[in-house]
Amino acid sequence: MPIREDEVRRIARLAKLKIEEGELAGTAERFERILEYFGQLGEIDTERVEPTFHAVSEGAGQTPMRDDEERQSPGTEDALANAPKKSEGHFQVPKVIE
Amino acid sequence: MNEICRWSVRQLRDALKRRELSVSEIARAFLERFNEIDSEVRAFLHVDPERTMRQAAELERSLARGEKKLGFLTGIPLAVKDNISTRGVPTTCGSRILKEYVPTYDATVIQRLRLDGALLLGKTNCDEFAMGSSTENSAFFPSRNPRDLERVPGGSSGGSAAAVASFQVPAALGSDTGGSIRQPAAFCGIVGLKPTYGRVSRYGLIAFASSLDQIGPMTRTVRDAAVLLQVLAGPDSRDSTCSRAPVDNFVSGIGKDVRGWKIGVPAEWLSGGLDPEIRTAVESALKVLQGLGCSVREIRFPHQKHALAVYYIIAPSEASSNLARYDGVRFGHRSERANSLEEMYEATRSEGFGPEVKRRILIGAYALSAGYYDAYYLKAGKVRTLILQDFRRAFEAVDLIVGPTAPTLPFRLGEKTTDPLEMYLSDVFTVTANLAGVPGLSLPCAVSKSGLPIGLQILGPHFQEGRVLRLAHALERELTL
Repeated sequence: MPIREDEVRRIARLAKLKIEEGELAGTAERFERILEYFGQLGEIDTERVEPTFHAVSEGAGQTPMRDDEERQSPGTEDALANAPKKSEGHFQVPKVIE
Repeated sequence: MNEICRWSVRQLRDALKRRELSVSEIARAFLERFNEIDSEVRAFLHVDPERTMRQAAELERSLARGEKKLGFLTGIPLAVKDNISTRGVPTTCGSRILKEYVPTYDATVIQRLRLDGALLLGKTNCDEFAMGSSTENSAFFPSRNPRDLERVPGGSSGGSAAAVASFQVPAALGSDTGGSIRQPAAFCGIVGLKPTYGRVSRYGLIAFASSLDQIGPMTRTVRDAAVLLQVLAGPDSRDSTCSRAPVDNFVSGIGKDVRGWKIGVPAEWLSGGLDPEIRTAVESALKVLQGLGCSVREIRFPHQKHALAVYYIIAPSEASSNLARYDGVRFGHRSERANSLEEMYEATRSEGFGPEVKRRILIGAYALSAGYYDAYYLKAGKVRTLILQDFRRAFEAVDLIVGPTAPTLPFRLGEKTTDPLEMYLSDVFTVTANLAGVPGLSLPCAVSKSGLPIGLQILGPHFQEGRVLRLAHALERELTL
């Protein structure tokens, strides 16, 4: 299946990545080769097969519960320690509302 | 090089116990080795000699005062892959986007190592976000194979493998999503173990593909791998996928015989694109196993040929979701070239991620997007079930599965960087263990005519690391490399 450049642009937008115009063709071509390789899965009959999302069955489908005890959470200082921009105990981002 | 740098974890511990060596002497010897060799090997991204020596001195004092008992790893310098969070020590994941990131907490495995008294010597290089098979996808520099500096050490835990193989540390931690512990172990001629999914906590491991990632030891001896796993393994309430099953004693089986064990060899693994020298090496190892009283039989892995396609759909899908967190707000790089929030996200991610990471995010986003989900992600999940069934059937007939770790010898730097599919083929024998969640170990089994190491892979049923290690040790004793 040929992958068009506008398709690559659409996926990049979904993934919040920018692809330079000059790289679009090359990206589409490599993308297409990889998808072609995936095409082999179409040959396999999986009509009555349930998908596996976790291979080790212990605890699958159930969320382990713990006792509802108070625990120490990281404080504001820790949470902000790696923030590229912060202000008055908050993460700072570019202006969102005009 | 100081002779003690060649010693195993166990030999170093024995010397500490007999007080023939001090913790500081050990730390100094390995730091000297780092100074001597790492400008060529480039295994490490961060080393802080002063901090390591300070920790060594503190440890020495608490040992002398009797406040601390000698554990398995007390005073042993270890290297840790740079995708494992270390409090106060940079953790870059080999990525520009985390270049300045310094975690405020330790991964569970690091807490366990610290509790046991291990010394953190440094953080090792890896492919960006563990995506790669050669360390050439590191945003900083490629590491080199200590056996031949023109060749790659494998990946993604190539820095850890190279550090252990060049005697800069006796052991290291790696992570394995599709072979990232076992393949570099094979390339560098060391032992690497990927435990059962859920045997070791992933808390603090920077996520790549959450249903496949697992942390494990990289060592020069099988016994050392057992010792490290003993310290690392166990339940953790902070990782809901971490198993609550009790931890076996992995060390006690080491040295026991393997007579009567049934070994399966997947027919599909010894045909096709396998390097003939590797095939010969695997066949000789199988003869050695027969000599030890094992019976060897051929088994079938009918869905093996699809494993790589399944893996390269599932892993990027999970990655595209996991890597959504790098938005330039809470941690990591933020682009200065943006006026709006949307622009900031896009510019940050485009500047921060390298080409392979972007490619996998795009593939994952595509495989999960409306209209393609059923054909790719869901289909891959279904074929994953068939692969799991292949393993179940196999382990009804045999105790362990043995085969090659990698299809080729260590390749040259730059040899496989132009075609992503070519690089993906490096993982053809290793991804199945991650998809099925089973434990897998790579053990050096031969040396090629050109002097390069060859790895043998041993796979076991879920939670049977003890059995895998026992066979590996029996084989290690017989092989003289």
